[in-house]
Amino acid sequence: MPATISISQPQQRQFNPYSENGGTILAIAGADFSVIAGDTRQSEGYSIQTRYAPKVFQLTDKAVLAVNGFAADGNMFVKKVRQRLEWYRHAHAKDMPLRAIARLIQTMLYARRFFPFYVYNILGGIEEDGTGAVYSFDPVGSYEREACRAAGAAQSLVQPFLDNQIYFKNQTAAPGTSHPVHLPLSTVLSLVIDSFTSATERHIEVGDGLEMYVVLAKGSTAFQTLGGVRGIQELTATEDGEKVFIIRRELKKD
Amino acid sequence: MNSFAERFSTTTAASQMRNAQKLADEDELDTAMWGSNAGFGSLAKGVPTFTVPAVADPTAFLRLHTDDHADPSCRIKIQHGTTTLAFRFQGGVIVAVDSRATAGSYVASGTVKKVIEINPYLLGTMAGGAADCQYWETYLGMHCRLHELRNRERISVSAASKYLSNLVYSYKGMGLSMGTMICGWDKTGPAVFYVDSDGTRLKGDLFSVGSGSTFAYGVLDQGYRWDLTDEEAQELGRRSIYAAGHRDAFSGNSCNLYHVKEDGWRFIGNYDIAKMHYDGPGNVAGSPGQGYGYDVRVEGRTSTNAPAVAAAA
Amino acid sequence: MAEKGLPLPKATSTGTTIVGCLFKDGIVLGADTRATEGPIVADKNCEKIHYITESIRCCGAGTAADTEFTTALISSNMELHALSTGRKPRVVTAMTMLKQMLFRYQGHVGAALVLGGVDATGPHLFTIHPHGSTDKLPYVTMGSGSLAAMAVFESGWTANMERDAALNLVKAAISAGIFNDLGSGSNIDACIITASHTEMLRNVEMPNQRVTKERSYGFRRGTTAWKTESVRDLIVSEEMTWVGGDAMDTT
Repeated sequence: MPATISISQPQQRQFNPYSENGGTILAIAGADFSVIAGDTRQSEGYSIQTRYAPKVFQLTDKAVLAVNGFAADGNMFVKKVRQRLEWYRHAHAKDMPLRAIARLIQTMLYARRFFPFYVYNILGGIEEDGTGAVYSFDPVGSYEREACRAAGAAQSLVQPFLDNQIYFKNQTAAPGTSHPVHLPLSTVLSLVIDSFTSATERHIEVGDGLEMYVVLAKGSTAFQTLGGVRGIQELTATEDGEKVFIIRRELKKD
Repeated sequence: MNSFAERFSTTTAASQMRNAQKLADEDELDTAMWGSNAGFGSLAKGVPTFTVPAVADPTAFLRLHTDDHADPSCRIKIQHGTTTLAFRFQGGVIVAVDSRATAGSYVASGTVKKVIEINPYLLGTMAGGAADCQYWETYLGMHCRLHELRNRERISVSAASKYLSNLVYSYKGMGLSMGTMICGWDKTGPAVFYVDSDGTRLKGDLFSVGSGSTFAYGVLDQGYRWDLTDEEAQELGRRSIYAAGHRDAFSGNSCNLYHVKEDGWRFIGNYDIAKMHYDGPGNVAGSPGQGYGYDVRVEGRTSTNAPAVAAAA
Repeated sequence: MAEKGLPLPKATSTGTTIVGCLFKDGIVLGADTRATEGPIVADKNCEKIHYITESIRCCGAGTAADTEFTTALISSNMELHALSTGRKPRVVTAMTMLKQMLFRYQGHVGAALVLGGVDATGPHLFTIHPHGSTDKLPYVTMGSGSLAAMAVFESGWTANMERDAALNLVKAAISAGIFNDLGSGSNIDACIITASHTEMLRNVEMPNQRVTKERSYGFRRGTTAWKTESVRDLIVSEEMTWVGGDAMDTT
């Protein structure tokens, strides 16, 4: 073929700073505790990038943040939240309360309204009044306090299960009884584990490992049930009596 | 005020974004971030600043990566689909909304608070982008408080809604999405203003916003009178949201009802839409004492569902 | 349809690891057992090694329905061919029939195949791509896990392997796919074909058994709300009534 003069054709380029790294996160609030969990697989397409990349992070003695979506944005976001919480500690000599962290996360996400963090956040922990709480966020910062929330790849598999087992959706109580408002910690942990083993069976991006953070309010009676739990480890305990534990489990690796 | 003038001295979206970028770069590590006024600490400078992608057309970038109503395939989902309504009557303002958030065909949440409590006298409703409404109406609440401190009196609903309208208008074309009603009671009495992200601001007696608004209007218009009693008005709001929740797939789950009177707003209640269909709203003022939908549609239609009167005879 | 803005119906795809290798006495084929629909596992234990003839088998990757029906069609035609010629059909015959069919459909039949078998001319192993091109090689892999599996073959395969060594190599190759490729998973199927005998090893290895759940999820009778109740007798009882006249003479 003879050498032709290259006429500049219109070209289109795209700037794509986002990727999707799979995985699922989940949080459930109890009366005086909160459980925040996530799997540890990080993937892109059909490849596993790593079998252990934490998605759940302890922020303070009574706040834990789970991030899911684009891992690079997620890690950077957690880093920035932690930085702001440290500044708050320097200025006020105390940890930021949970509801304030929730509002901080909203403003930090909304500051990127025109260049969003591709991250779904779930914040769990203990409120100032000693109740367990879960806050869930969309990528640009709208948030809401809830009793339970699943997000990520298997959200549509896990959330309906939680709606049925925690909110008792589509279940009528036996005559003369009513559904409990708060579930005990032992039940909640079982539901979390079953959510993840089931999601692992049916979703290809979920698996490898499970990390569950348990945040207990001071004087929580749920403490006793944690004694016999396999693979539990205490992370922090305040003088007041708030405690944070982590429970690690294996998930299927195929 | 200087930064304010500079910020609004240009008109194209792209150049505005560049200005915002300039401000954002300067303020990345502002001292205001250190203290308790975190995030809103740059208030003194007029408007909060935003990080903007370093591309030729930031608006096109945003449109590509967030779902703009029609495109469900893109990755960053912003909540859409709603029914909200508010109307003015002799006894104040009724505000009623549903609680469903959808992302495509998936019901992302059934417990969304679509009434934003701006302050004890002002309510805002949420339709369109959830974050846009939550953030800017919270921000509006701060400015209403500043107005109170500066002028020793409460801001009028008109002024508050105009503040919001001007604010979102300054971001026109940049992808904000809100359709809101600012409701309250001021010196002029009950007031409702419709404000949206296109810059529209309307004063009126009766509005409904969202994908289910047509269904809500149907019930609202046939039942609306100025001299409604409080009970009748509350029932009308509830019944209208029920109608929208029943017929619009993108609205539903439950209805949140508020009533604004001279002494501020009051939360009336949360009503499950399925429960209203079968059993009615329960023992509340204005309740018909039976389900809105099921019996009306089913009773007497087949031999197994003979009307109670006929069965007795 | 896609141009009208309608998303095309998602096909069940066997995002897959399939392999085959030659050994001293014949062919070993291998496959995982996961079938997916996008990121969802549609079948945790499907069969991807399809029957062509007694001594020819075919592993399928790609669109599940396409691999299922093309192999079934060719299997049927091979049987007819055997009947009309009165001989045992050859592997190349199946290969040619498959490639000609796939080429005719210009890639719209989304079948990526590993065909292996033993005939009068010896053992043969082929890969057939969706557009109709073929390869004849001593060890082959296909599907989304093909790179992981090929890495194992490249480092472990030698000519004239023993049966057990070849089977272990195939298991290792499929395992590499199962654990490193998200499109592949669950169990290992293998098939050993020699001149005298074909051995289908369904689920030779099951490295991904499901764990027992922490809770049991039974529901109390009466959990689901209802509005009306009607109880009907499923037994139809008939009563006979004589309407005058004499009884029929049944003598």
